[in-house]
Amino acid sequence: MMLRLLSVELLKIRKKLLWLLVVIGPLGVVSLQAVNFGLRYDYLSKLYADGLWSGLILNVSNLALSALFIGLAIVASMSAGIEHQTNAWKMTLALPVSKGQVFGAKFLLNVLLLFVSSSLLVPFTLALGWALGFDGPIPIAELLRTAYYPLLAAMPFVAVQCGLSVHLANQALPMTIGIVGMIAAMFGSWFPDWVPWKWPSLLNASHEPLLSVGLGLVLGAVVFLVGMTVFARKDVT
Amino acid sequence: MSNQAWILETRGLTKRLGGKNVVNEVNLAIGKGEIYGFLGPNGAGKTTTIRMLLGLAKPTKGSVHLFGRDIRKERIPILRKVGSLVEYPSYYGHLTAKENLEVVRRLLGVPRSRIDDVLSVVRLTKEADRAVKGYSLGMKQRLGIATALLGQPELLVLDEPTNGLDPAGIQEIRELIKSLPATQGVTILISSHLLSEVEQMATRVGIIDKGNLIYQDGIRMLRERAKSRIRFGVSEPEAAWRLLLSHGYEAAWDRHQLTVERADDRTVAAIVTQLVRQNHQVYRVEEETASLERIFLEMTGTEGSL
Repeated sequence: MMLRLLSVELLKIRKKLLWLLVVIGPLGVVSLQAVNFGLRYDYLSKLYADGLWSGLILNVSNLALSALFIGLAIVASMSAGIEHQTNAWKMTLALPVSKGQVFGAKFLLNVLLLFVSSSLLVPFTLALGWALGFDGPIPIAELLRTAYYPLLAAMPFVAVQCGLSVHLANQALPMTIGIVGMIAAMFGSWFPDWVPWKWPSLLNASHEPLLSVGLGLVLGAVVFLVGMTVFARKDVT
Repeated sequence: MSNQAWILETRGLTKRLGGKNVVNEVNLAIGKGEIYGFLGPNGAGKTTTIRMLLGLAKPTKGSVHLFGRDIRKERIPILRKVGSLVEYPSYYGHLTAKENLEVVRRLLGVPRSRIDDVLSVVRLTKEADRAVKGYSLGMKQRLGIATALLGQPELLVLDEPTNGLDPAGIQEIRELIKSLPATQGVTILISSHLLSEVEQMATRVGIIDKGNLIYQDGIRMLRERAKSRIRFGVSEPEAAWRLLLSHGYEAAWDRHQLTVERADDRTVAAIVTQLVRQNHQVYRVEEETASLERIFLEMTGTEGSL
């Protein structure tokens, strides 16, 4: 049933700008880095002389973090907006499907779209590096970590935005919270380790990115379950 | 009567919203193969009741049984046998009619051929590949009905399916709904704020007002209440009224018109003879039939609300 629901979710976002957004996010991040490296090539190539690729990946990851935060809010808002527009919730929920699974499918769709977005960072970054004429070994593990770890560590926010956007027909509040979240995440490294806004930056006292990822996944699951329970209990108007 | 006899039965169904019982102790009962007209003015609690029937909202008190099963305990197996259209139709505007139906089809798990079947029932086959946002309201309503029919339901719940349609659209939807029990073998619950709209198709009606079910019976019983009266146009109505009363007729005079309730031909003839004998000039003898709409208004007491 879950697969069926997900296939329906994918069918519903056909011909929607959502897909464009999924591509534009990582493309924008890498394009800005192309400008950055294009303008300050001499300075940056000296700064990262002992690892051009790592320097590029570091710069991409800083910018990708903000893009991830705003992106997850927009994706949640747009995917829920499809239902709010004509109040299609009441049609879907009058069908023989479990309410929890309907919410779960929405969440999975968001995760899937963000996963595609994150994945695209890899080829885009590689293309930029090659275009800049970088040689030497590509730190592929580092690149993959940069692409996927922040998304996993940001799961609580994916769940919060998904929940808010689904619960509220007016998307102004979820979007505001999403933007505030993005700003908070920009200063993530200033926070103590227990603050979730810090986790996607993968920084912590023990220098173990997987700790941030683990915390994100656990809290994400908790927030998701809360959102699902509230949704399943709520009357559909 | 036992549980099993009714397709749909509610007991003491109550919904409290904002400190007010918007649905109060409603006992609905719908038998197999009926077209049940669920009537009430706007805001009487029709849609709230229907939401509870479909498990979209939880009753504050009372129970809903469909096919003899409790909606709260067996929501999914029950909804498998119910098709619904709640208020204005829900659809995904950027998708075509076919894609919209495909969304629901996948969730119901019915064969793909059903899509073409229901499209032809509501006569949308030709328009099936157009984006729904370009549809007229009538076409959207028809698509909504097609969606409701997709799972070959045993019970069809249509909430104000003709709301906002022009007379031609209303006629079209009405013909469609009327044909359904015969062609699709379904029981239908149809809500409306217009009695005239359901009177031609409903076999039974329930009237809800301010959350209370004030009438539930066959449409024929309602029609019998539509008693006729005879109106007399005479030169001196007040004097004529006294004369008729003194002869034992059920006459009424409201300073505008003189009327006699439920008079058969013989009584009318006798009254006219009396009046003429007393030198009253009789201008008109007219029959006035109270429309169902007026009875409805009298029952719901919203006549002067305008």
